[in-house]
Parts: sequence; C-alpha cells; structure tokens
Amino acid sequence: MTLPRTTLSTRSFASAKSAGVCRVGILALALALTGLAPAALADAEGFADGAFAVCAAKVLVCEEEGLAAIDQGVLLVRDGRIVAVGGVDEIAIPADHEIIDVGDSWLMPGMIDLHSHVGGSGGLNDMVFQVNPGLRVGTSVVTGNANLVRPLAAGITSILYIPGSGTNIGGQGVLMKTHETEFEDAVIRNPGSLKIAQGDNPKRWGYRMNRALMNHHIRYALRQGKAYAMRWQEYEEGRASIPARHINLDVFRDLYNNEIAISTHTQYFQVVLATMRILRIEFGFPTFIDHGSFDSWLLGELAEEIGVPAILGPREVMFPRPGRFDTDGRVEGSAWGFQKMGVTKIGFNTDAPVLPQEELPLQSAMGVRYGFDNSTMDAVRGLTIVPAVVAGIGDELGSLEPGKLADLVVLTGDPSDPRTTVERVWIRGETVYEVSEEVRLW
Amino acid sequence: MTASTLRTISLALLLSSVPATAQTGLGNENIETTAAISASTPPAAAAPAPGAPGGKGLAIRTAKALAVPLKGTQFIDNAVVLVKDGLIEAVGPARTTPVPLGYEVLDIGDKWLAPGMVELHSHIAGTFDINDTVYLTNPGMRASTAVRPGDPKMKLGLAGGVTTILFIPGSGSNIGGQGVLLKTGLSDYESMEVRNPGSMKLAQAGNPERWGFRVARSFMNWNTRNTLQRGIAYAKEWEAFNDGDGPKPEINLQFEVIRALYERRAPIATHTQIFQVANMTLTMVAAQLKLPVFIDHGTFDAHRVAPRAQELGVNAILGPRAIDVPSRMMMSWAGSNPERIQGVAAGYQDGGLEMIGFNTDAPVIPQEELLLQASMGVRYGFRWDNLETIRGLTIIPAKTAGIDHLVGSIEPGKQADLLIVTGDPADPRCAVEAVLIEGQRVYDANTNRRRW
Repeated sequence: MTLPRTTLSTRSFASAKSAGVCRVGILALALALTGLAPAALADAEGFADGAFAVCAAKVLVCEEEGLAAIDQGVLLVRDGRIVAVGGVDEIAIPADHEIIDVGDSWLMPGMIDLHSHVGGSGGLNDMVFQVNPGLRVGTSVVTGNANLVRPLAAGITSILYIPGSGTNIGGQGVLMKTHETEFEDAVIRNPGSLKIAQGDNPKRWGYRMNRALMNHHIRYALRQGKAYAMRWQEYEEGRASIPARHINLDVFRDLYNNEIAISTHTQYFQVVLATMRILRIEFGFPTFIDHGSFDSWLLGELAEEIGVPAILGPREVMFPRPGRFDTDGRVEGSAWGFQKMGVTKIGFNTDAPVLPQEELPLQSAMGVRYGFDNSTMDAVRGLTIVPAVVAGIGDELGSLEPGKLADLVVLTGDPSDPRTTVERVWIRGETVYEVSEEVRLW
Repeated sequence: MTASTLRTISLALLLSSVPATAQTGLGNENIETTAAISASTPPAAAAPAPGAPGGKGLAIRTAKALAVPLKGTQFIDNAVVLVKDGLIEAVGPARTTPVPLGYEVLDIGDKWLAPGMVELHSHIAGTFDINDTVYLTNPGMRASTAVRPGDPKMKLGLAGGVTTILFIPGSGSNIGGQGVLLKTGLSDYESMEVRNPGSMKLAQAGNPERWGFRVARSFMNWNTRNTLQRGIAYAKEWEAFNDGDGPKPEINLQFEVIRALYERRAPIATHTQIFQVANMTLTMVAAQLKLPVFIDHGTFDAHRVAPRAQELGVNAILGPRAIDVPSRMMMSWAGSNPERIQGVAAGYQDGGLEMIGFNTDAPVIPQEELLLQASMGVRYGFRWDNLETIRGLTIIPAKTAGIDHLVGSIEPGKQADLLIVTGDPADPRCAVEAVLIEGQRVYDANTNRRRW
C-alpha cells in the first residue's frame, strides 16, 4: 500500500505495528522544513523522481556474511539503487521520498537462478561439434517472453540463461533480467558463464563416446583456451605481438581473468571429482558445481578447500541405492550434504523448464525439508547473495546493501516457505509487477 | 551339528512342553523365540508398549493437537491425547483432560500432534502387477495380490507421515480393478489391510486411450457404462434375493466389486482430468448410475466442474499436478484463464466444493511428499484459514474412502494413527519425528535414523 506522506506524518509511533511499519524521521522532517532535503525533480506531491522508502515488518538483508534480517526495517532507494537500510528507529526517511509501507509483509532482494533455459527460444543446444565454446545463448534471448512473466511475478529477477548439456561445452550463458525490456537493458553480462557438461547427457552425442574421451576433449579445449588467454595477456603487458582473434576461444580470456565462471553440469561423485580436478585444480578457472545431485556432496570438503561453490537442483535428494552408496534407508538431501561437509556457498537452481522457473524458492524449502540448516537464513541466501557472488555480480545484486541495485521483492512471509506469495517486484527501482494492479499470475 | 538339526530339536522340545494355545502362534515366531519359550521359563513376550493393544495407557502432551474432526474445533493448544489399546480414548485441553492413573506420559513439548495422513492414490505398496491391460474393463482384478509389506518406498512414505494408503491399479485400461486400503507401517498383510476392496479404479481419459487402435473416449465411455450397468443389474439380483424377492444369484467374480459399489461399501476412484472428462465422471457415474465416486487427479481445467461436484456430493482428491497452466490450446477450447496459473485446489475451492483432498500418484510424486501437494495448493491460492491443508491430507480423504470412522482425525474411538511433527505438517520445512499406527510406534527419527 502506498501512503501519502501527509497521513504518515500524523501517525503515532506506538501504532507502528497495526497501522504500518513506517514513520517519518523527525530529523527528515526538520531537514525538509529547513530546505536542506534534495529538492530536485519533485513531483506534485513533493516526491523526488525515483526516490522512495519501503517499510516492512521484516527486511531480509541477506549479506553474504553477517546481517541476515532486520525486523521493522526501512530501505531507501534513489535512482535505482539502494541508499540505506536499517531499523525504523535508525533510518530517517527524507521528506522527498515516497513512502511505501507494506505492513506485515517482508522485503527481500530479487532472487537469482543460475540455471535457466527459458530466457528465449530454443537454439541453445546445437550439437554439431562436441565442444562449442564460441556458441552464445545470447542470440536466443527473447526478453520478457511468456516463460519469464510468471518467474518475475514469483520474485525471480535475474537468471543465468545457459546452453543445454547435449555437448561437453555447450557455449556461453548470458546473465539477464526477467522483465520485458530492450535486450541491451535486459543483459546484465554477456558472456555470463561458460557451460561445461561432464556426465550423462553429452554421452548421447555419439556412438562409443564415454567419459574418458569426453574429459580428454574438455581438457584439450581448456588447454587451447588458456594458452590463447595467456597470449593475450602477454600482448597486453607488451611482451608479445597481437594474437590472431579466435572467436571460439575468446570466452577463455574472461575465464582466465576471473570475470566469469564455468557453470558445470556435474552430478555424481566421480563426475564432480573430475570437474574439480580438471576445471579448477588443473586449469585454475573459476568453477561452480551446477546440479551437484546424488552422492556428489561427499566431495564437499574438497569443494570448499579449492573454492568451488555448489548451485543445487533440480534434484534435491539422493535416494538410498545400495549398489552405489548405501544410505541405510535414509534419503539424503543434497544441500544438507554439502552443508554438512562445510561448503559455505550453497545456492539453488531449477534447471527451468525442468522445474517451473517460478518454483525456485521451493528448491530451498525442499533443501530444508531434507535437512539443510536454515537457522541463519542460509536457505534465503541460497536464492540471493550466494548465486550473485558465484556469478560474479555480488557487488551489484543479491543483497539489500547500500550501493546495490534496487531489485526488490515484497512477499507475504518467508520466501523459503512455498506457501508464501509475492506482492510486488522492483527491478533497478522500477515497479515491474504488482499483484494488486495486475492479475495474480499464480 | 547343523543349524537345521538344532531347529528340529528345539521344535520337538517345544511341541512336547508348551500348552496347545502357544503352539497356534508357532508359525509366526522365529525359531530363537520359540526355543526360549521351550526352556520352560514363563512366556517372555515383551510387554506391549504403552498405547499399543494390550499395553497400559499413553497420555501425549503437545503444544498443538491438530484434531481436524469433520466438523467442530479443528485444533487444540496445550492438549492432552489419551491412547489405550491402539485407540484414541480422549482429546482435550491439558487443564480439562486429566491423565488417568497408570498412564505413561509422553510430553512432546513444542512439537505438534497430527492424525496420520491418508493417501487415496498410491501405486507403491508392492510390485507393479497392477496394470494388466488384456481387456478394457477388468473389475475383477485386485491390487491386493501385489502388496509387499515393508516395501522400502512405503517405508519412506511412512516417515513422511503417510499412515494409510489406497493402493490402486494403474490407468492402462478403463476399469483397472480393485484398490485396497492399507496401513503402511504394519508388518503383515492381515494387519495392514483396512478394507478390500478399498475402491474400484476407473480411468476415463488419457492413458487408457493408448489401449488400442481406434479406441477413443466415446467408445470407452460406452464400454465402461456397459460394464457398470451389467454390474448394477447383478447387484440388484442380490438385493432382490436378500429381500426375499428372487432366486440366489451365482457369484460373478467380475461384478462382485460393482455390488460393493451399489451397496455403498466402497467408492469408485476415477482417474479423470480436464473439464469434459471430469464432467463425464459426474454425469455418467454420479448422476446417471448413482454410484459413489470421487474425482481423482481432477487436474487442468477440471476445477470448472466444482459447483456441480458440490451439488452431487462428489469429492475431489487432487494431484499430482497442482496447477492449470494457461496455454493457447486450453484457452481456445476450454476458456482457461489466459494469463494466470490457476491452482487446481484453489479452483475447486473458488467453485464452492467443500471436500478437497490431495494425492501424489506415488511414485509420480514421492509418497513422502504428500504434504507438499497441500502446500503447493496454498502457493497457488488455496485458502487454509480453517486448516483445509491438514484436512485435505487426513479427514477428507478418510471420509471420501469411507473409513472416517477409523482414521483421519484425532477423536475418541478412532485408531491412534498419530504423527509427532516439528511444526505444521503442511509446511515442507517441518519434519515428522515419530509415527504411531494403532498406538504402536512404527517410526522414530531418533532410533530408526531420520529417513530424510
């Protein structure tokens, strides 16, 4: 609900809970009266354009390490960025800020899914060659397509739209926004990742293909790519002449410079071990485990030691299968397993459309169901700051910290409870979904 | 001396020394136990646990008892539930429910107590010999012949709080046979069986269309109606005989279950979805043939039949698909909401249907995730201000299957099938800590290992 500032200024402090969370800071009022508040671009009601305050019963700050949530919190936004966040008693709301009081609802950062295939049309699983580091899924993006409308209404504001796993190197993913806009505005970063697939699906590429040959091919490509990136580095440092451009290998320069990560389709113990040993230990590229299902969590200790995060889904559990790894009749949760092994960066994915993109929060709920400890809100971090940091966009997105982009979600309660629903979504400070104004999409 | 000769000797000892009444139990005992008895000490059967049949009484104190009777107060804070001989003896607020002398007190603190969940669409109680499709209608076949007590999938379901299931035939033919109602956590078939037949399985569209070339819905409905009409005629012959108005009919194995339907001893569980198929369930089975029936699945835009289902008293047990996704195809011929994902449960609720339950179609959705069907109902708009989530997992399926006099709520006289849960059983982040069936602790996360 959007309240005119005039009614708020007369509200008694004691009624904060029943009548809303916000109140105007005395200091802010004083500033306004003495003309010290920013006055530019004020609208008819005296609000500056793009300046607003959101007051909520609970603000999920989601810092990577540290503050998880503030009860009775206020968040200030100006020009698409977060300016301040704190308790109602700490934050003075400037007079030119429109106040949006969401009452008992909660406020959180927009959610981020690092494994999505619904950013556009097909054309993301071309399998002419077995390794295709030059292919770009960015060419398939359809901004705001029908499959992104519902995720947006579910609070998922950013996705890593990636190639399929039909080959060992499927190409380059693109980090993009879910709301309808120009391609240039929708793209957060392109390339967003390099997709490598190590087990299962790429085995279907051809007769007699198996993991040993596939891993050989991957290593071959990574050696070429790394050598290419090093030649460019030598050139940039003035130690060599300019190398010939090779569009199949350009993406390795981003990897070599730690600007993007390899998102790796990898799941069983032995496959994840190969992921870590080849991509991370041998070549030193930033790498994250994508999927990480079945018994791969047994490698959590090594993953943490060498800095390989785990973005888990769409399969959350390992069923007892005595043939491989006997769990004595118990279903093991993947997220629980990685957490137990000490992995600090655990996130969730949907592999949409394998699971509907809008059900990303359900992945965290099922993680908790199967043992993941959520006492310090790690389930919510796994939907926000962890994927942001893993994708290298943690300085701009993933938490409600001053300076970051204002991708905000108002929802009826804890996002890791699937019974919770989303009421309003902002991207970069602009309202892109509001349940009261539009059809409720789910 | 070999093990088998040892057994022979102890068996001989036993036969010569213990009273005849003990011998009748011999077949079910393992040899070590019988050997111990034969050593002339008094029969050393372990005393039944408190609450179990033959044991002393059990009083459970809980922060919240989700009683969920069909009508009346749905939950009690700071409650006491008394269990004796496998049955619930009393339930009420702690201050007005005294614990009788000699009862063992089990204080579960902040944890909640809920009735065991009842799942009316399960295929995981045994082997998959439940989809024989030689004929298009097979009312005589019985799922009960495939039951395997202690099946690992059923045990996982038990750890997820599912204590009663309707184990039903598949949907490869129009009438797949007879389902059986079972208790998941008991160890032999005889004690597991709640009722057989538990239901008759009818499948009206989708899967049975694959039965043969040129078979589609018009023919299938004609064929099904033909079978049901003949079965009803058979049931009426028995009715006439029982009323002294006719000769004794010969038993017809195919039609015995339809006689059970006619006498309202079991309902038809109908694999039915999309509007026109669910509407045909209501028209053909409920309105014309007047057989007890419930909608099973009821997905896509079938929720549009809700007002008529309410009028005809047909309950809906929903799943495993929780939503009606708008699609161009749907819109053009069914008028589904073009923009919004319509929650199936919410759709039935909006249409005025009161009796709404949930299913998993296990193994389509894992049996242990039955509760998630209710939470997803809420996610997609299902209102639960009166605990409709919990009711849809317990008393409503129990009532639908006609076993609400036995299970489905925490009420005096019912079987003590109880769940100890860390919180709301419809919140997937909560876990089941222990399960009692008929007063016996059949699962305990602390001693049996938490299964998930």
